[in-house]
Amino acid sequence: MEVVDIRPVLAPTLSFICAGLIFMTGRKAFWRRFWSLSAALLKLGVVMSMLPGTMNGTVYVFKLMDFTPGIGLGFRVDALGMFFAVVSSTLWIFTTIYAIGYMEPEHAKVRFFGFFALCVSTTVGIAFAENLLTLFLFYESLTIVTYPLVIHEETPEAFKAGRKYLTYTLIGGALVLIGTVIMYQTSGTLTLSQPGVLTLADGTRTLTVLFVTLIAGFGVKAAIMPLHGWLPSAMVAPTPVSALLHAVAVVKAGAFGVLRVIYNVFGVELLRQMDLTTWLAWLAAFTILTASFVALFQDNFKRRLAYSTVSQLSYIILGACLLTPMAATAAIAHIANQAFAKITMFFVAGAIQRTTGKTSIHELAGIGYRMPFTMGAFTVAALSFVGVPLFAGFVTKWYLSLGALEAGAWWFVIVMIASALLNAAYFLPIVYLAYFKAPPGTRLHIEEARPTLLVPTIVCALYVIMLGTTAEVPGMPFSLARAAVRFVFGM
Amino acid sequence: MVLWPHWLVAVIIIPLTGAVLTPVVGRDRPKVASLWSLGTMALTSVAATMLIIRVAQEGPFSYMLGDWARPYGIELRFDEFSASVAIICLLGLLALMFSYRYVAASIHESRIPYYYSLLLLNLTGMIGFVVTGDLFNLFVFMEILSLSGYALVAISGERTAEMAAFKYLVMGAVSSLVVLFSVGLLYAVTGSLNMADISERLAGVTDRLPVMLALAGMAMAFMVKAALFPLHIWLPDAHAIAPSPVSAILSGLVVKTGVFGLLRAYQIFYGAGNYDLTGLNTALVWLGAISIVMGAFFAIFQEDIKMMLAYSTISNIGYIVMGLGLASQYGMIGATVHIFNHALIKATLFLGAGALIHKTGYRTLTDLRGVGKSMPLTCMALSIGAISIVGIPPTAGFLCKWYIALGAFQAGQPFFGFALVFGALFIFVYYIRMVNSFYFQQPTHPEILSVGEAPLSMLAPVLVLATLCLVMGILGRLPLSFIEPAVLRMLGTFGG
Repeated sequence: MEVVDIRPVLAPTLSFICAGLIFMTGRKAFWRRFWSLSAALLKLGVVMSMLPGTMNGTVYVFKLMDFTPGIGLGFRVDALGMFFAVVSSTLWIFTTIYAIGYMEPEHAKVRFFGFFALCVSTTVGIAFAENLLTLFLFYESLTIVTYPLVIHEETPEAFKAGRKYLTYTLIGGALVLIGTVIMYQTSGTLTLSQPGVLTLADGTRTLTVLFVTLIAGFGVKAAIMPLHGWLPSAMVAPTPVSALLHAVAVVKAGAFGVLRVIYNVFGVELLRQMDLTTWLAWLAAFTILTASFVALFQDNFKRRLAYSTVSQLSYIILGACLLTPMAATAAIAHIANQAFAKITMFFVAGAIQRTTGKTSIHELAGIGYRMPFTMGAFTVAALSFVGVPLFAGFVTKWYLSLGALEAGAWWFVIVMIASALLNAAYFLPIVYLAYFKAPPGTRLHIEEARPTLLVPTIVCALYVIMLGTTAEVPGMPFSLARAAVRFVFGM
Repeated sequence: MVLWPHWLVAVIIIPLTGAVLTPVVGRDRPKVASLWSLGTMALTSVAATMLIIRVAQEGPFSYMLGDWARPYGIELRFDEFSASVAIICLLGLLALMFSYRYVAASIHESRIPYYYSLLLLNLTGMIGFVVTGDLFNLFVFMEILSLSGYALVAISGERTAEMAAFKYLVMGAVSSLVVLFSVGLLYAVTGSLNMADISERLAGVTDRLPVMLALAGMAMAFMVKAALFPLHIWLPDAHAIAPSPVSAILSGLVVKTGVFGLLRAYQIFYGAGNYDLTGLNTALVWLGAISIVMGAFFAIFQEDIKMMLAYSTISNIGYIVMGLGLASQYGMIGATVHIFNHALIKATLFLGAGALIHKTGYRTLTDLRGVGKSMPLTCMALSIGAISIVGIPPTAGFLCKWYIALGAFQAGQPFFGFALVFGALFIFVYYIRMVNSFYFQQPTHPEILSVGEAPLSMLAPVLVLATLCLVMGILGRLPLSFIEPAVLRMLGTFGG
């Protein structure tokens, strides 16, 4: 049932207005914080107010206007979009609090918080986009508004990372644009409201080109190897940026785009008939394992997290490519599971850096005696990535493995297991170092990070546990993922 | 009011009279000259508005000078394409306003009345160019705008300016002669100078060689005027060295007359119905694609901000010409609307750059570092212009890119769709350098942090244009659907 409602537009607009207010009045720390926090809360309120309706199958739509004749700037809240929006607007609040604490000694804070709000605005725009052109519009804007955040430090290294970031993502954007053109030319519509709009009659060759173009375009931000190069270098950005953008907003925008292409542009049926996703599934599996191997050898804390992100994102891609309901559930749920666990880790990395100045993993010996709560949160996230039951990551792994079996592709289960081991191999040593490799004579001497850094970290860690334990509770994100899957598979 | 038949003459007569009288009225009184020319342009805009309202209501209409029927009389014809007078008047007004403070600082006082006179003449030439229905008049108006253009480039009196103007003059004069030659050929073959008439008579011409020669001549000459690669060499110097408001007019409008001429030639030949234009189309599409890439390539190496903008014009002309050459509905619509949108965007950029140069005295990217902190509004406008010209949604540049790319696929030539979209990325490379130097790099000259915003008469035009860049992106369907019937009519006559 479709209901016309202003709220789908309101959600991105709120952060957009917030950005404007920050640029105008943000020289005063109070107003900067006030606008950021109140917009974050308001926006979460708006998004959450639509949640019960979405759960019951109501779809909120709002067509803003005709952008070009025939193609509207349209917004549409379905279960999949809602899922992404809930995750990103929840995390915006935590990251804002964290950023207020973290950015204290930094320069150009007005710019930082302004563009930060713009990023969230575009992310929710991506989530609620009704058609591919609207999606592209926000996808491309996201690239532009994250650029000032990536080069925030204004060092030559930052400029280099910024250039690399733009090169990769703009080429990706160009591919998406071409894909959009091809789709419009082929089917005469760009809507994302159907479980697939293309048919075999559109010609195998065109469809293949279209699939490759769109997947490559979105795959840049989703960091599918070999398109992942920008992500590790973009880690020069301040930690809250890495946290929200490179673990959540930007990369998930890519993954979300891939999901939209697979489920709403092509549709599961067509892809099964055409057998287009097999190579992508293998590429995802390759990315999962290779990125994990690379992560093993990173000593810089944030770089190790970055490669772990590359690896984890491909879970989503793999889940989507298997084209079974179980795997799809895992793919969608992993948007949240990975986001909360990874953001916890980035918060930890940032908190350690701000409190002790340490950025390399080998320096972390005994840190658990100084910052036990922070490291506790890290442990929770690490266990989640390894896939220990009761933590969020387990839910993904379980359903993804079931989905692989459902698709008759048992070898992906082996990939899952190997990846779990690799995750253990690069995350648990950090935990081990922190608690058990303390230099002799270290005593418990608590010098925790300041509360603005610590509280968001712990809350996110608690979320990870909550996502892992309450998967079957109605009203939790997981049931949203289920609702999305039911729509996609026509169940 | 709207239906008063003489608006179509008035729109030429008003600025022409104003231009001729400017040196008399404004002699030794630069301020009066400025106000006089602004007033003239405002009046012209009223006439233009009436014409556009009328064409939107009832479609194309003609005006026979002295009521002489064609082919003997001179016909003025106002169709949807002629609605470009809107952008000519708008940019004219804003550039004149911008000039008020700008030329006072950069041109010798005794020359100022002549400057305004020439600028008005230039605008008159363009208005005449787009509303005339007569091929010989087309040539005359082209000469008016070209000659005033050469003088405007040279007006600062600096040595480099004279050189640039001379280069422009040589290229321009040769191309004008070729146009004249082609017009002569067509007259010899058809016995008419009226475009609609020629179009009808061409269908029955059996000896095709002179006709095709005329078409080739016109196409080549207009390509020079449009600065299509490799005929662009006159453009960068001329556009970069001219005073900034003139650069905005030259880059935003004057080069478009070349494209517009091509469009008129197409109208004639499509109208005739039985000419095969595939060869010309192919040439245009390729040259367009090459222009996009080469323009961007040269621009990357420019340090001078105006030089960079000048090269970027070559890329954008490439878009438009490619759209024309694709000869598909979407491509054609995208191209014609880009004539309009690019004018807005490029004027934003040139006037913004002019404001920076006026306030800081620097014109290279290195020298301008950090200016974003001291002139935030101007730099914001420039950034919006940069985003528009690269074609990032939701700005004005995006829609045209989208339409022309769609046109490439519609015409069954997807390669050019790719070339267009990836060529645009090239363009981004140097605009991001500009944005970096404004905002993110440490100033080379610390005193740049203490200059203030430009005066209101310069800031306002820049901001108006930047706003339009955004508005035209969001309300892009308005020009698109306005021009659509004209394009369909033009393509529809071609082989049914």
